[in-house]
Amino acid sequence: MTRAGEAPHYLVERIRDRVAEQAHELGIHVEVCGDVVYLRGGVVSEERRREVEEAARAAAGGCTIRNEVSVIPAAVPDGEERLT
Amino acid sequence: MIRVAAVGDIHLGPDVAGQYRERLTGLADHADVLLVAGDLTRHGTLEEGRIVADELRDAPVPVIAVLGNHDYHSEAENEITEMLGEAGVTVLHSGGTMIDCGGVRLGVAGCKGFGGGFAGSSGDEFGEREMKAFIRHTRELSDGLYESLAALDDQGADLKVALTHYSPVKDTLTGEPLEIYPFLGSYLLAEAIDRAGADLAVHGHAHMGSEKGVTPNGVRVRNVALPVIKQAYAVYGLEKRDSSRPPAEAGRSAR
Ligand SMILES: [Fe+2]
Ligand SMILES: [Fe+2]
Repeated sequence: MTRAGEAPHYLVERIRDRVAEQAHELGIHVEVCGDVVYLRGGVVSEERRREVEEAARAAAGGCTIRNEVSVIPAAVPDGEERLT
Repeated sequence: MIRVAAVGDIHLGPDVAGQYRERLTGLADHADVLLVAGDLTRHGTLEEGRIVADELRDAPVPVIAVLGNHDYHSEAENEITEMLGEAGVTVLHSGGTMIDCGGVRLGVAGCKGFGGGFAGSSGDEFGEREMKAFIRHTRELSDGLYESLAALDDQGADLKVALTHYSPVKDTLTGEPLEIYPFLGSYLLAEAIDRAGADLAVHGHAHMGSEKGVTPNGVRVRNVALPVIKQAYAVYGLEKRDSSRPPAEAGRSAR
């Protein structure tokens, strides 16, 4: 059980739901280890990275959030893949 | 050789307005066409649709897009389609389009696609109404994809690309939790691509997946979701097939 008193199994899903609903990010991986919630994945701006964290925090019942979500630079590519 | 630029899941919104457009400035130096594999918006609102349209308006190369699940969220997909069309983007809900790339005829057939899962463990059109509707949606879109890929041959396509949001294969989902595979794609899409033949299949949707895969009949599949390719777009060079070989032979002979 986490500090929030919920089995990690269900907490993961509650956080994923909240991140989808509030931050509209579906591709975020959520992992709960004891009292710590890890967030992973990629978003396109620093603001969205914060939004994901806020949404997760709102559903995490006091657990510590480790926001490991990265911001994708999305630069112009420097090469191509030739498919022959 | 023609160069196909492709990206999915750009998920634009007011917070990043103008940024993507900047990255398209030199696009014509890298590519002949840009394929956009769905999830152009975050919530599918009219405001976001307008931002996407402005971002892609009068791009340096022809832009062909399908919508993704996020673009349906506010039930404004028709209005978004219209706005994109008005900005010069070809949006495929089914059907195909042909572009001339310096004398090479590139055919693109596209649809959103849908889930259901993969051969050996796919959902079936059986049981509750909701379950049947789920799989039927995938089947109808896959049938449409087959029809439009096949039609591209009759229209004299030199090269054919299948463009979807959902994935036709499992390979490009590597990195996603196994439990959600049925929500990420369907083998029915791969079957349509293999039966009709194609030179490349491009999809998005699986943000945690991986870039490269192949259909059972050997059509190259690329997951171009922005978080996967981690660049503004990926570029794939396609060589025109030997003209003595029928366009869809690879797919059809191995059926
Ligand atoms: Fe997406
Ligand atoms: Fe998606």
